[in-house]
Order: sequence, then structure tokens, then C-alpha cells
Amino acid sequence: MTIDLTRRAALACAVALAALPAMAQDDWPTAPVHVFVGFPAGSSPDTLARIITEPLAQRLGQPVVVENKPGAGGVIGVQQMLTTAGDGHTFGTTINGPLTTAQRLMDSTGYDVEADIAPVTLIATSPLVLAVSSASEFEDLQGFVDAAGAEPEALAYGSVGQGSGAHLTAELFADEAGVSMLHIPFTSYAEVTTSIMGGEIDAGFMAPSAALPHVEAGNMRMLGITSAETFPQAPDVPVMAGQAGLPDDFRAELWNAFIAPAGTDPAVIERLNTELGEILADPQVQEKLLAIGWQAAPGTPADLEERIVADTEMWGAVIDRVEAGE
Amino acid sequence: MRRDWPDICGGLALTAVGLLACGWALAEYDLGTLRRMGPGFFPAILGALLAALGLIVALPALGRAGMPARVAPRSAVAVLASIVIFGFGLPRLGLAGATAASVLVASLPAPQPGWTWRIVLMVAITLLTVLVFSVGLRMTLPVWPRLP
Amino acid sequence: MTTWEGLLYGIGFALQPGVLVYCVLGVVLGTFVGVLPGIGAMAAISLLLPVTYYITPEAALIMLAGVYYGAQYGGAVASILMRLPGTPQSAVTALDGYPMVREGRTGVALFAAMASSFAGSVIGIAVLVMLAGWLSTAATAFGAADYAAMMILGLVAASTIGTGQFAKGFAMVTLGLLLGCVGTDVNSGVQRFTFGQTELLDGINLVALAMGLFGVAEVVANVQDPDRQGVVERIGFRRMLPAWADLRQMGWPTLRGGALGSFFGALPGTGSTLSSFLSYAMERRVARRPERFGKGAIEGVAGPESANNAAAITAFVPTLTLGIPGDPIMALMLGALVIHGIQPGPLMLEARPEMFWGLVASFGIGNLLLLILNLPLIGIWVAMLRIPFRWLYPAILVFVCLGVYSVRGLTFDIVAVAAIGLAGYLLALAAFSPALLLLGFVLGPLIETNLRRALLISRGDPMVFLERPISAVFVVATIALLLLSLWQAWRQRRNARADRREAA
Repeated sequence: MTIDLTRRAALACAVALAALPAMAQDDWPTAPVHVFVGFPAGSSPDTLARIITEPLAQRLGQPVVVENKPGAGGVIGVQQMLTTAGDGHTFGTTINGPLTTAQRLMDSTGYDVEADIAPVTLIATSPLVLAVSSASEFEDLQGFVDAAGAEPEALAYGSVGQGSGAHLTAELFADEAGVSMLHIPFTSYAEVTTSIMGGEIDAGFMAPSAALPHVEAGNMRMLGITSAETFPQAPDVPVMAGQAGLPDDFRAELWNAFIAPAGTDPAVIERLNTELGEILADPQVQEKLLAIGWQAAPGTPADLEERIVADTEMWGAVIDRVEAGE
Repeated sequence: MRRDWPDICGGLALTAVGLLACGWALAEYDLGTLRRMGPGFFPAILGALLAALGLIVALPALGRAGMPARVAPRSAVAVLASIVIFGFGLPRLGLAGATAASVLVASLPAPQPGWTWRIVLMVAITLLTVLVFSVGLRMTLPVWPRLP
Repeated sequence: MTTWEGLLYGIGFALQPGVLVYCVLGVVLGTFVGVLPGIGAMAAISLLLPVTYYITPEAALIMLAGVYYGAQYGGAVASILMRLPGTPQSAVTALDGYPMVREGRTGVALFAAMASSFAGSVIGIAVLVMLAGWLSTAATAFGAADYAAMMILGLVAASTIGTGQFAKGFAMVTLGLLLGCVGTDVNSGVQRFTFGQTELLDGINLVALAMGLFGVAEVVANVQDPDRQGVVERIGFRRMLPAWADLRQMGWPTLRGGALGSFFGALPGTGSTLSSFLSYAMERRVARRPERFGKGAIEGVAGPESANNAAAITAFVPTLTLGIPGDPIMALMLGALVIHGIQPGPLMLEARPEMFWGLVASFGIGNLLLLILNLPLIGIWVAMLRIPFRWLYPAILVFVCLGVYSVRGLTFDIVAVAAIGLAGYLLALAAFSPALLLLGFVLGPLIETNLRRALLISRGDPMVFLERPISAVFVVATIALLLLSLWQAWRQRRNARADRREAA
């Protein structure tokens, strides 16, 4: 009899526990929200996460804790989000790499983007600029492409690593322009900058925020930008599309997105999407993001999903070509 | 015959590590050429070099007497176990639980009998750790065990 | 603004109560955090970064800088007292600092570390003020070939620091270089020796390696050591202070270390680590009785400590004047400024002179504060040694774990400490030098990446190492050093043979 009672109590408990997530829909969030970032404190993706989580905490009425789990180009942040998932309060922000190219470039990421990740919203995008030393002879994109086309690997360019956005963008550019350049991988834009200024390499595909200070100081020149429109921070830099033999729809952007583990309550995702959309519409937030090189670009979860699929395909094709060329 | 066992074992172990690394690099990674070195170039050369150096350390040691090493297996097991417990315990037991468990295990080989001081030590260090890291430095860590 | 005007202005700025308080806060916090084993400047700054969002950019940078060099003072204490270096720089300090403790000269060792750290930072500040412009051009003048040649010279020069057999030391350097290969290869993107572990893609965690090799191995060896069960060291105030002879021995090493550190610190890369190893190697080479090193030579503490503190100051040169951070800590500092909307770079000196000169002045004030703060603390640190080891080591282990965890927040790294600790203990049993392993590990990836990068850029022409003047100087120096070592070894052997013949 006693046993039976205990068993019944346990059953009741189990039913109550199972019902918890369903009940949580209305009064979510009930605990501090954790946002995993795959980059170290003080880095650009970390600063971006902090800019949007501060107003988010106010709107949700719960603290939002940024958890830095740096490593493997952001993949570790996504992994850690997935291993901690399950309480309905765990999310992440990530750059495009871990969602689009990591599966191709790494032996194993330990997750499947389509099955394990629920997109919430795109946060912001960033184009890349082609930067050269101001001491160099190149005045515009056409001159650069002409020089690069003189012979294979006539010019050397720096990127922030094999398979990085900068590397793949440069290869896409070279392919579309019909030239072949020598790729020199570095680990940070700081190293690329030093090498360009020291005259060791001819050019670099860089984030505008990394190149701008040196352009303003007169040490570097920007020949073109990879986005469809000019960038507000550097309005003088011409769009690459349609120039120097590049197709009119040439476009390559890095982006940063807010994601959730698959299985997160759709109502919660909806709520977050709305809140983040409003946050990103705030001119003050937009200005802060622009200062670190990101242009706010909110959208629906479906938009983000589409972007992931399209970019995975586009960069996959570039990776195929790079691998075939080796 | 007396031999310098620490140098023999150490040298041979390094030779083994070197050979393994060299073999793995040769089998798995592209060596490239001198002009365009591949990812396997450095590990293969370093592995071979380490293997050779290991032999240079081990062979002369065969013919000479050495200092016997003072091994402390009990201390080693307890100390290493306490670290592993902390590592695996942190996400599950929280900072307080992991610290308490690991301190207790670590204190086992200490040359002082009795349980009272161990318990006192456990409580004191747990308190100190939570105060310094969670309250003071604001590290984002779960403090208490995660309820199932 | 001339240099003197700027400096005076900066001192006035840094002495404002609203700024000074953050400087004090920074150095106190830094010292405290640095003493905790395994938690270095990097972890301390990342933990404090979010706090700085709420203060002015000048105060933020001054506080974080205070944490940075405060942690270096604290780190020296931990590595001298307990042989628990949190960073490769302080690993060098442990080589002779810890033997001094075991000789009962704890107070002298700590005093030497503090005084030479202070002197080193003063030298660094002087160099920063006078040569900032020249040093900033050095950063861009160094190409891949130059770095590779410089690092190889550093490796060869420092390889001699181990005591005992040459082959054992060289084997440890090689093992370190090999461990440095673990992770994603920069040049090809290939994942080497990672065995499917994502946590290894960025290589073995440096702090986990340092703590495992030194800290854990040391704890295991001492748990049952009767000598460590409460060392009752009878020391009066007089024994805590260095004798005149000690002070005289410290003078030149401190100056040489400061000069080395000032130069290497300004180069992006691992200037600070390289300079403390080089300073140690240099002192050993110029010493009249090099066999004292590793057994408690005060020069082995003074030189490297002076070098790494000077390097810590001049590391700000490329960060502030070019906007190019030389190491992860400087990248964090730069991040802190960018968050506040300030972009350091070539224009900063003109656009924000109060920031530049205020920071420089605060370096000086902060280091003076550290000296004033730490000298009285020496007594407390010495007293700590009287605590029986059994009360200390469980806490040390927990702090080590948390220190390692604080770097990336991955429990994988804690478990790695246990594995590395086991290896470190076995290596210690066979008397292999962990410091040399660490040196190889730090320099290995830099040498490999830069060597291969240089050959890529030169389109495969090895002559690049002789055609670039900077690189050529280093190559010649390396060859000269090797020849010198060979000649010395040959002369020693000949002398020994002559002695034997005479004896017979």
C-alpha cells in the first residue's frame, strides 16, 4: 500500500515535470538566459553579443548572461550551447562559419546544422574590403585585377586562415575575375595589416573595421567592397559587383546570427525574434554595431534558414574549387 | 648490475613518442617539398629527432649507475583523481560540490591520520572557492549541484 | 606637445583621484589574482572586462593595465613560493626562485623579484617614452622570414638553460616543438594530432600545459615530503632583506634584462616570453660560475623578471601607435578601447594625447604602487610557507583547475591538466626540464608558421633568409652562437683531458 502510494506520487511528479515546459510558454523566461558566444571577451562577435543582450535583458525581465566559449572558429561555442541545452533558457550567437562551412572544413563538428539548430534571427552582416598598402601602385580594382592576371600567383594576399570568410571570399573573387592569387594564411587581421604595411604581401581581404583606422592614417587604401551596396562607414569605397569583369550579382558577406538548440519551444523563438527585431531597429543599437563593423540586418527565422542553406551551397562550391586546385 | 633506470625509461619513452608522431605524420599528412612544406613536414622531422634524442639519452644510461627515483604512486593517483573529479564534476555537481569532492580525495594521501581535519579543510576550501570565484571574480559557474 | 610636456600632463592626469582609484584597484586586484596559481593576466582581464563597460575609457584602460602588470608581480610570487607558474614567463623565474626558497632565502628571492620587476618597468617606460616612434616602425619592418630567424636564434640561445645533460634538454625542447604542432595547421588548415577532439583544434591549452608540468608534478612530489609539512623557517627581519652582495649581483642582470625586454616586447608575437628566457640564458652565459644556475642564483630571478616587466610595458607600443595588438592580452586591451568607441592607431597620439600620456604615467604610478604594496607583503608570503603543505595543496589543486577553466570555460582543459600532470610527474622523476618543454611549445608554432610563410611569400626561394637584412643578422648570430658553443665544449673537453693527464 505504502509502495503504491509512493509510486503514485512519483508518477504525479513525473506528469507535473513533463507539463513544465508547456506551462513555461506563458511566463518564459523563468530563469536567467544564457547566450553562448564562440569567441573571447573583447572580440568583435563578443561585443556584438553584449550590445544586443543588454537591451534584451531589460525586455525579458531576466538577466542575460554571455558565456564565452572561444575556440575552433566559433564551433566550440555552438557545441557548448548544444550540450547545455534542454532547460529552454540556452541560446547562442555565432558568425556564419560554424553554420555554413565548418561541416566541410573540419573532421567533425559534432552537430548537424539542419537537425540540431533552430534559427532565431539574423543579427547583422559585414562585407569585406580589398585593402592594399598606400605605397602600392594599385589605384583601383581594374588595375589590381590586371596586375593579378599577368601570371598565376603574381600577387599574394593575406587572410585570417585557411577556410576563413576572408580566404573563401578572396577565392570567389579571384575565380569570378578570372585570376589566380597566392594565398598567405595568417591568424588575425592585425598580422595581415602588419604584413601589408611592411610590403610583404600585396593585399588583404579584411573586415572594414579592421582596415579603416589604417586607411584614415594614410597607410592603406581600399579598392572595393564585397557587399551589394556601399557600406555606411566607408561610403567612398566602390562596390565590386559589375567592376573589373566581376558579375553584377557578385556579393559576399559575413554575418552573425542568433540561434537556439533544435527543440526549443516555437513560441519562445517567436518571442525572441520579435524582441531582437525591435532591438535591432533602434538607431542607437545600429550605431553601436556599425562602430564595430556590423550592419544590423534582422529578419524572420525562415530568412535565416534560407541564408544558411544558400551560403552553405555557395561556399561549398568555393571550397570544392580550392580543394581541386591543391 | 646497477643501471640508470630513470634515464633509460625516460629516453625510451621519448623514442616511442617520437616514432609514433613521425609515423603518424608520414601516414596521415602531406609532407610537401622543401620549398612548399606541407603539414606533415615539421612533425615528421621533429618526431624522428625526438626518437634519436631518446636513444642518445637511454643508451649511455645502460652502462652507469643512477639515482633511484622516489616514486609516490598513492599521492599521484589521489592528486590526478582529484583533478579529474573536479573536471567532470563541475558541470554536474556545481562549483561547491566539485570542490568539496576533489578536496576530500586530494587530502587522502596526506601523512596525517584522522577525518576531522579533512572535513574542516573541505568546508573551508569550498567556502573560500565559492567566495573568491563566484562572488568575487563573478565567473559564470553553477555553484550548486544540478537537480535532475 | 613635446615629450616632457606630455609626460607632465600625463602625470597630472593619472594623479586625479577619479583615475588614481582605478589604478589602485587594478594593481591590487591584479596582484591578488596573479598569486592564485593558474590565473594569469589573461583570465583576470577577461573576467574584469565587462566591469569596464561602465567607466570612462581612460579609467578602463588604466585599470586593466594595472591588472595586467599586477598579475605579473603576483605570478612571480606564486612561481617562487610554490613553483606554480601560471605563464611561461614566470616559469623562468621559478628555475632559481624556488631553489632559493628551499635554501631559506624566500625573502631575498621575493625582494629580488619585486625590485627587478620595478626596475624593468621603469626601463620599459623610459624606452616607451623616448623610442615609441622608432619601435613602432620595427613592428612593420619585421617580416615572416625575420620572425622565423629571430625565434630560431631565441630557441638556440635559450636551449642551454637546462642543467645536466645536453641531450636531455634538447629532447625536451623537441618534445615541446612537437606538442606545439597539435591543432589546426595555420598554413594548410589540416587538423594535426587532434583525433577528432574539437577542443584540440586551437592546440593544447598553454595554461593547462604550464600548470600540469609544473604545478601538478610539484604537488604530487611533495604531498608526503616531510620537509614540506610546515617549514618552520626562523627568519628575522634582517634575513628577509637582501645583503649588499645580493643587491650588487642584481644590478647588471636587471639592466640587461630590462634592455632585452624593452626590445622584444615591442615586437608583435611572444616578446615577453622570449625575452625572459633569453635574459636567463644570457645571465648564465656571462656568469663567472654558471653552475650555480638552477640552484638558487639571484641573477636568474632578477634578469628574467626585469625582462618580462619591461616587455609588458613596451608591448603597448604597437597596440597604441599602430592599433596592432602583439598578443592576446593586448588584443583584449584593444577590444576594451574599441568598445568605448576609441580606435587606437597612428592618429591616437594626436587625437587623444590625454589617453596616451595618462596611460604612460599610470604605468609608472602603478608600478610604484605595486612595489609599495608588495614589499610589506613579503613577510606574509614567507609566513605562508609555515602552513603545513597538507592544508595548502588541495586548495592549490582546486585553484589550478579553476584557473585553467577560466581561460576558455571548457572542462576538457581541466581533464587535460590531469593527463599532462601525469606526464609532467614522470618527466620530473627522470629529471627532464619542463621549462625547456614549455619554451619549445611556445616558440614551435611561431617558428613553423613563419618559416613556411616566408617560403610561401618568396615563392619557395630559401635565399629570402639571407636577403632580408634583419633576418640575415639573426641567421649569422645563430651560426656564431652555435660555433661558440661547440668551441667551448671542445675546449672544456680538452682541459678535462689535460687535467686527467696531469693527475695521472
